[in-house]
This record gives sequence, structure tokens and C-alpha cells, in this order.
Amino acid sequence: MGLPFDISYVFSFIPKLAETLLLTLGIVAGSLLSGLLFGLIAALPRLYRVPVLEQISMAYASFFRGTPILIQLFLIYYGLPELIKAMHIDVTRTPVLVFVILTYGLHTGAFVSESIRAAIMAVDRGQVEAAYSLGMTGPQAFRRIAAPQALAIAVPVLANLTLGLLKETSLAFTLGVMEMSGKAQSLARVTLHFLEAYLALALIYLAVAFILEKLLLAAEHRLLRHERPESAAGRFRLLRGITLRKLASGMQGGASS
Amino acid sequence: MSLDPSFMWEALLKLLEALPTTLAITAVSVGCGFLAGAAIALVRVHRVPVLHRIASVWVTVIRGTPMLVHLLVIYAGLTLIVDTLTGYFGLGWNSARIPMIGFAYLSFSITASAYCSEIIRSGMLAVDRGQREAALSLGMTTMQTLRRIIFPQALAASVPNLTNFVIGMLHGSTLAFVVSVVDINAKAEIVASTNWKFFEAYLAAAILFWAMTILLERAGGAVERRINRYRKGGVV
Repeated sequence: MGLPFDISYVFSFIPKLAETLLLTLGIVAGSLLSGLLFGLIAALPRLYRVPVLEQISMAYASFFRGTPILIQLFLIYYGLPELIKAMHIDVTRTPVLVFVILTYGLHTGAFVSESIRAAIMAVDRGQVEAAYSLGMTGPQAFRRIAAPQALAIAVPVLANLTLGLLKETSLAFTLGVMEMSGKAQSLARVTLHFLEAYLALALIYLAVAFILEKLLLAAEHRLLRHERPESAAGRFRLLRGITLRKLASGMQGGASS
Repeated sequence: MSLDPSFMWEALLKLLEALPTTLAITAVSVGCGFLAGAAIALVRVHRVPVLHRIASVWVTVIRGTPMLVHLLVIYAGLTLIVDTLTGYFGLGWNSARIPMIGFAYLSFSITASAYCSEIIRSGMLAVDRGQREAALSLGMTTMQTLRRIIFPQALAASVPNLTNFVIGMLHGSTLAFVVSVVDINAKAEIVASTNWKFFEAYLAAAILFWAMTILLERAGGAVERRINRYRKGGVV
């Protein structure tokens, strides 16, 4: 099929592919934000055991965790316009990117809802009871006591989800979005240097995943510093601890707004 | 919205024809991935010189790149290597003779090996050190210790992760359409191409995958309960 292997093509492909990196990262960021939103919305009825809504949320999480992302992409792409047309809203001019981000958002949201639920269930019941006995209201106990502790448990899981999302967005090309892997395939077809294009693609993914992992790990350490047992030196840095706690609760608030 | 339930049923029946392909890809990748993963995990846990560094680079590279990229690289790379070699030796056949599903088997097994090795490794690390020491002090050889003591406990600890891994490989097998293998996902597109009822066809495919996932989850749960029976408290 292709032309003989020439390593120089790998290096010339890398900058070309890197141009589309921003789009890939944009899809990741958009999906992650919408996924956090969907996940939180889906987790609440299950945490507070709201009748009907709880079952809907369970079905949502089960479906989006139980079907391949590739099929979800096609389902949303073909199904949603029909569904919305019934409500007399025309979406034929909506860019396909919106569908892609929505699908990945719903997909991620299902996993996020499960991990938020698991994290909040893992917070010791006595913590919330103590908060109530101190006279805190339900939302106060959630925001001040349960959420920050749950965040500490959920953060590593969310970091893994982000890394998984980076790799899963490589499927967006199936709907015609020219992100990194779509670009690599078209470059390969045009130049007939298939292996070189895919190796360049692999190298970029590897580098991005590596950097992202390091950044997430650093964020994790920073976010969860107050979780460590207090050391003698740490006691004098109370101020820093307070800002961290603000950051932690701010993130939780940001996801719900 | 116009949903055609009779066509959905028709599509579901047609999709069942592609079910063996999906199951075969999943089974081969999980099976080979498990064996290779166990070998990688062993090498890393026992810190075999040189090999454990190679193994850790392998796992990092595979886990750092998408499954799609593995498939593309294997497909492009293997055809290039095979064609170059057969051309060089004048063997008179080329990569076109390799069945397409072979690329999917190989590539997904590679993907599976890295993910599976991490699961097995974490399972092995979860086994108490004293178990190994006790086995060795009873005079068991390293192989006996591994087979009788370490692996059963490591596997028991990693059943939930393994279930998720199998489900992940099942969902990942939909990528086979890239090398023109007709699995359930590709079949859905073929079924719909005659009358453009893509939504119904993909919904049928989604239901099929959903059912398989739920079955796998149930099976995983049952295995977990069975395997953890010895953990119950009490004297008998």
C-alpha cells in the first residue's frame, strides 16, 4: 500500500499534527466540564434518594457506562436532531463539534456521577452527623464537611477520567471532526506514508498524556495537601491551608453552577 | 420523532450475525492480553534486571496512547514490514493475504496486555508479604508459591478490575471497523445504509452492548462472591 518507510516524515508530520492539538484539548476540556456538570446533576438524586429521578439517573449511568463510546457518538449524532426537531427547533446548522462534546460529556458524566456517589458514600457518616449536631443545615453540612472530604477521594479518579478522555477523543474523527487522529489519517492518505503519520500521532499523544499526568499529579498534591497528617512545620502554615480549602470548595461550587 | 420499532427488531436480528465477531475479538484480546499481562506483571513485581525497565516503558507507552493509534500503527507497520520482507526474499505473497481480523486480534491484545498487567500487578502487590514468606519457609519453590499462593489471592483481589477490563475490551472491539472487520458496530452501519434508519440501527446495537455489559457485570459479581467465600469470618 504505502511508500517505503522514511523517518524524516515522522518529524515533518509532528508540527502539522500539533496544529490540531488545540482542538483535541478543546474537546477534552469541553467534555470534562460538561461531564462534571452532568455527573453532579445525576449524582444528587441518588445521594438524596429522590424517587423517580433516582431511577432515571441509574438508567442514565448504566446506559452510558454500558455501551461503547463509538455507538454513543452515532446515536447522539443521528438521534438528537430528530428528537429536537419534534420540539420544532432546527439544529441542522449546529456544528458537529457540539454533538461530539455533548456525547463525550454525557459519557464522562456517567462515570463522574458514579465516582461522586462512591466518594460521598465513603465519607464517614459520623462526620455529617457531627455537622448536623453542631447546628449546620443540610447544604452547609454538604458544602463544608462532606464535599471537601469526598473531593479528596474523588480527585485521583477524576484525574484518571481526564487521561482516559484524552485517548477516547481520538474517535471524534468518525463524525468528521478534524482533530489529531483525523488529521493523521488524512495526512497518511495524502502522502501514502501511513506508518510515519501514525507514529507521529502516537508520539504526540504520549507526550501530551505524560505532561497531563504530571500536571494532574501536581494538582492532586496541591489540592489534597491538607489531607496529610499535620506535621509540626505544617501547623504554622495555617493560612495556606485555608486558601486550599477555599479552592477545594470553590471547585465543587464551580461544577454545580 | 419517528421511531420504527419493527425495523429496530429487524436490525437487532441482523446484528446478531455479527455478534460472534465481536465476541471473538473480545475473547482473543482478553485471553492474550491476560497471559502477556501476567508475564509483564511478574517481570515488574520481581524486578527482573533489564526486562523490568522494558516492561515499564511498554506499559507507559501503551497506556499513554489511544487504542485506535495501536490499531493504526499495527496495521500500517505490519503490512509495511511483511511486504518489505516478502518482496526482499521474493516469497510471492504479500500482506493482503493476512486476514483483516488478524490485525484487530494482535493490536487489541497489545492494548490489553498493558492494561491487564497493571491490574495483575496491583493485585499481586495487594497480597500480604507474609503469605509469600510462609510459603517459601514451608519449602515451596518460587513457581509453587506463585501458582498456589500468590496468584489465587492476587486474582481474587483484582476481580472487580478484571470485570471492568473485560467490559472495556468489549467496548473497544467496536474499533475493528477501522480495519474493515464487520463487528456489531460496523454491521449497524451496513444494516442502516439501505434505508437510512441509522438511529434505529445504532439503538439496536447499543441495546445489544448494554445487555452484554450487564451480563458481564453480573458474572463478575458472582465470581467475586464465590472467590471471596474463604474470607468470611467465624470458625467454620
